[in-house]
Amino acid sequence: MIDLKEVVKIYQTSGEELIALKHVSLHIAKGEFTSIMGPSGSGKSTMMNILGLLDRFDGGMYHLNGQDVTNLTDNESAHVRNREIGFVFQSFNLMPRMTLLDNVGLPMVYGGVPLKERRKRALEALKKVGLADRVSHRPNAISGGQKQRVAIARAIVNRPVVLMADEPTGNLDSKTTLEIMKIFQELNDAGTTVVMVTHEPDVAQYTKRIISFRDGQIIDDQPVSDRRTL
Amino acid sequence: MGFLESFKIALASIFANKMRSFLTILGIIIGIAAVIAILAVGNGAITQITGTFSDLGSSTISVSTSRDATDTQKITIKDIKALKESIPTINRISPNVTIQTVGSSEGKTKTTIVATGTSDLQYTNQMMDKEIIYGRYFTTTEITEASKVAVISADTARSFFNGRENVVGEKMNLHGQKGQVSVRIIGVSKSTLEKMVGSFIEDEMMGYIALPITTAASLDPEVTKITSLNVMARSKDDIDATSKQIVNQLATRHNVPGKNIYTATNFLQALDQVNNVLSLIINFIAAVAAIALLVGGIGVMNIMLVSVTERTREIGTRKALGATNNNILFQFLTESVILCLIGGLIGLTLGAVLAVTVAGVLDITAKFTLGSIIAVLVFSSAIGISFGVYPARKAAKLDPIEALRYE
Repeated sequence: MIDLKEVVKIYQTSGEELIALKHVSLHIAKGEFTSIMGPSGSGKSTMMNILGLLDRFDGGMYHLNGQDVTNLTDNESAHVRNREIGFVFQSFNLMPRMTLLDNVGLPMVYGGVPLKERRKRALEALKKVGLADRVSHRPNAISGGQKQRVAIARAIVNRPVVLMADEPTGNLDSKTTLEIMKIFQELNDAGTTVVMVTHEPDVAQYTKRIISFRDGQIIDDQPVSDRRTL
Repeated sequence: MGFLESFKIALASIFANKMRSFLTILGIIIGIAAVIAILAVGNGAITQITGTFSDLGSSTISVSTSRDATDTQKITIKDIKALKESIPTINRISPNVTIQTVGSSEGKTKTTIVATGTSDLQYTNQMMDKEIIYGRYFTTTEITEASKVAVISADTARSFFNGRENVVGEKMNLHGQKGQVSVRIIGVSKSTLEKMVGSFIEDEMMGYIALPITTAASLDPEVTKITSLNVMARSKDDIDATSKQIVNQLATRHNVPGKNIYTATNFLQALDQVNNVLSLIINFIAAVAAIALLVGGIGVMNIMLVSVTERTREIGTRKALGATNNNILFQFLTESVILCLIGGLIGLTLGAVLAVTVAGVLDITAKFTLGSIIAVLVFSSAIGISFGVYPARKAAKLDPIEALRYE
């Protein structure tokens, strides 16, 4: 599913080289629910950006869903992001002027899905996150937890092979955090691979595997022993 | 992503900031409105001028002798008679002769009255936009026999005959430089202008009195050495052939073939030249007004740059969701083109209203051409594209990670 071999990422900042990832190799199988943890500057965000094909890297190989995505053009990675990856952000990143239905349908716009089917699939996705009755609302009319549920609906609407969530509960209170984690668990149970960056150990306990980063390297990679389910 | 999607996104964005969008396109609106109004009023004026003069002048030919013409080469009354008899396409023909005289009547003296010598008073009157209101025109016999008769304008009549207009049968003395003649008034004419607005306008400051050209010769024999003629051809289509025949015949009669002593110009040609100059001026003014469009375009670019910055996160999100650089480029380009097109349409409407209003005040008809309307739409789109490309490229080239991180 996700196969990283010896991935190196170097940032050039004012003449100084900063090695953000030092020959990281990683394998995530289909159906896994993985947390990536680590202090800031550990390389976990860089890892996430590379996994999400938002950033290029300077050495190594990356295979996603059997496809070599090591050296893609901007356009090619845009298409792969569109088809294979669903993103969930810390601050939701919904389009404020669009209805929830249109927000959820947005990835399909870039995938060239006809309007009618877009509507249908967006509605299905909103149903999955329990917001089918809010389709014509705009993001500013709903709560933070609901926004994140819309964002998750948007992430899954193109049926991606992997869901990438970057601190998805960072802006939410503990109650809504549980709601969101429940949705992730449900999606994972239904077969979706989920990779989530978090710095909260509590939240990571709801996943199945925790990979810890420090100084651009994986220092720990363990299954969650006493996993919490919701 | 189809055009319709870009179009919807662009409209949503434009209407989300109505005031800002409006202020942004104000420059475009003003520029387009100015250009449209100037062109419509200008073209209306040209049409009006052309219309007015072509009624009168469409079949008119002006014949003139060159400055180098000797006395024997100048046109004679006999020439005029011969031309009229030998060229069937000549409808009317008359020399243009004016002489300054001193007129007097019933002991009343008035300095300087311009006497017009003619061989066809109806034609001369028609050219001067005058009509007989009392009495009659000269007869052919009166012209050939140099009868001492005259047709006077109404306002001249009033000033010579104590405010009377119907002075048919009265006598007047005219003193020219080389002689004098006592004429009997057989007709009174009035200009259409004077008929319309009454006597408020003394349209003939120097007075107007028309004499047979033969009679005028007794005031000044020089008048028979004619240097210019007005000819009315039978129809527009005869103009070219008639002009040639006149020039050839005059050259033959005066024995100067091929020397370009005589030239014939068509009134319409002259009008065309005037129109060309007018068009040039109008287009120049319109081009100056179009500078407002340039300024407007810069305004659009400015606001699009602001918009790109404001929506950095949106752009990042769209890219993460699978938007290609071209999707983003097209989205912003569409927005600026639509913005400019809306400006163009409002400007077009405003310009039309302005043109009709101004034309109403000037008493002309504003003239809109399909070409100018299409030009406006094409031009506003062009502004939208040319000033939208830079911001749109900036948006398209944003690094998704940077864009997503942007606060």
